[in-house]
Amino acid sequence: MFLQHLHLQNFRNYSSQSVAFSAPKTILVGDNAQGKSNLLEAVEMLATLKSHRTSRDRDLVKEGANIGQIKAQLQRELGVSELSLTLKNAGRRTAVINGETLKRQQDFLGHLNAVQFSSLDIDLVRGGPGGRRIWIDTLLTQLEPVYAYILQQYNQVLKQRNAFIKQHTANADDLDDRIDTTLLTSQQQQITHHNQSDQIQLSQMPTQMAIWDAQLATTGTRVTRRRSRVLNRLIPLAQRWHQSISGDAEALTIAYQPNVALIADDPAIIQQSFLEKIQSRAIAEYHQRTSLVGPHRDDIDFVINQTPARQYGSQGQQRTLVLSLKLAELELIEAVIGEPPLLLLDDVLAELDLKRQNQLLETIQDRFQTIITTTHLGSFDAQWLKASQILTVDQGRLVASS
Amino acid sequence: MHMLKRPEAEVRALANALVAAKQQVGQCSQCFHLSAEPVCDICRSQARDPNTICVVAESRDVIALEKTREYKGKYHVLGGLISPMDGIGPEQLNVGQLIHRVNKEGTSEVILAISPSIEGDTTTLYVGQLLKPFTRVTRIAFGLPMGGDLEYADEVTLARALEGRRELDS
Ligand SMILES: Nc1ncnc2c1ncn2[C@@H]1O[C@H](COP(=O)(O)OP(=O)(O)OP(=O)(O)O)[C@@H](O)[C@H]1O
Ligand SMILES: [Mg+2]
Ligand SMILES: [Zn+2]
Repeated sequence: MFLQHLHLQNFRNYSSQSVAFSAPKTILVGDNAQGKSNLLEAVEMLATLKSHRTSRDRDLVKEGANIGQIKAQLQRELGVSELSLTLKNAGRRTAVINGETLKRQQDFLGHLNAVQFSSLDIDLVRGGPGGRRIWIDTLLTQLEPVYAYILQQYNQVLKQRNAFIKQHTANADDLDDRIDTTLLTSQQQQITHHNQSDQIQLSQMPTQMAIWDAQLATTGTRVTRRRSRVLNRLIPLAQRWHQSISGDAEALTIAYQPNVALIADDPAIIQQSFLEKIQSRAIAEYHQRTSLVGPHRDDIDFVINQTPARQYGSQGQQRTLVLSLKLAELELIEAVIGEPPLLLLDDVLAELDLKRQNQLLETIQDRFQTIITTTHLGSFDAQWLKASQILTVDQGRLVASS
Repeated sequence: MHMLKRPEAEVRALANALVAAKQQVGQCSQCFHLSAEPVCDICRSQARDPNTICVVAESRDVIALEKTREYKGKYHVLGGLISPMDGIGPEQLNVGQLIHRVNKEGTSEVILAISPSIEGDTTTLYVGQLLKPFTRVTRIAFGLPMGGDLEYADEVTLARALEGRRELDS
């Protein structure tokens, strides 16, 4: 796919800016804080409906304006399409494809695909599990747009269940030795109430908690199974890239660590074990007043030669790992979508040594449309600088360099 | 937002008119549908099957279902959905009144017609489990868009959904 044209209207520090992309590689060069990453962020929004820098649309709208807009013209094998996303300081977004306003924003996903690679991605290795979950979820959303809906459903159940737990443990501190029965699942209630035979009636009542448990298990199982499925496809690709970049010397292992283990293929069996785990953690949840079981506690382990990659001192090894993951993402999206996605390289190219730079550039060649940001052109190979479109970014304006 | 720009007297007049309308319209004491009378037209109608109650979240859902002209039974408006985040539990909804009604009237079927969403599904399951010991409970199989509202479903979709209702599984 090829992004032919982009127009930003009151987006971040851009007032009104059009860009026509004229080469497979475009380099955005400029000083700090001029708007290079902002432009990549606009493309990221088109691909994922999310920005990794903010979750509030009002941050994306230019200061002083109420409405911002990203418009794009995208060439795919089946034809050219026009995408437009309107963001508001207050209120819902409007997503339009080929003149048609979408009823569900989710239908916007899957038109433009992009892999983002920035210097911050080193946090995939060094940072906490939250960043790794966002990474895999973002990839999944592009591969199967329905996942955006699945994940949103899970997060909604989680919020509701946490609110329910908080309400029913409001007096937990003074009632430490008495457990609020509304918090227990019906099975546990039956046990509790058997001991107090006068209350046996109660055990037949449905409990709201049991329903939230069931909803968490149902939606959570969907999330876990999909994460596992995409990792199963991604891991061999990442391993192959890693081997080729590090030169056989190192063995990379990637292991999905779901909070609720995938003990079987059958979702019903996983849901059952999900519920059992919830029950086993009921007392802890009661004391911590939050949900402790589910894919919001998943992690992904990266291990190089039997040592967790996080603990490796070498930045180079960590960079190789992240580069391998990104190359694997590119390859996987291309395989699933049937067309090469865009590649957005934010500041990262200059950080790679020449060998890794070449590895990356050899892979992308002219197949993957690539937008690169940098503060200076000095560290780039003259050969491919010549073949690239170079744009200077200056305070929210783009100027073509000759 | 428009309101903020209007003169205060005008806003006050509008507010008063809204309060008056709300007091005047009020709710049916049996089904909690909007009604100017103490008991609404649908509850009073002799032509409607008293053995079937269709449970919906809001009055606007009654209006949407009535447009299909397919449904000949009575309604019960819950007045919202279970949502702990908003501090809404079954106690804040017309759930107790529904159980009471079903017991008193010996209703033979309750159709749960609540839009599929996290809160909608929770409400459906909760109310369904409460009612199951007393009557047959079905839920309508929506061909509705994901996260869509009953209100926005077109009449054909709703009519088809009513035909395709199925037993509530536990
Ligand atoms: N909503 C907004 N309205 C106006 N300006 C904004 C808005 N959001 C961000 N900016 C401005 O955008 C600039 C940052 O742009 P960006 O992150 O694209 O910088 P950059 O060119 O990538 O710089 P660096 O080389 O440091 O990464 C800052 O000057 C910031 O004040
Ligand atoms: Mg930047
Ligand atoms: Zn009535």
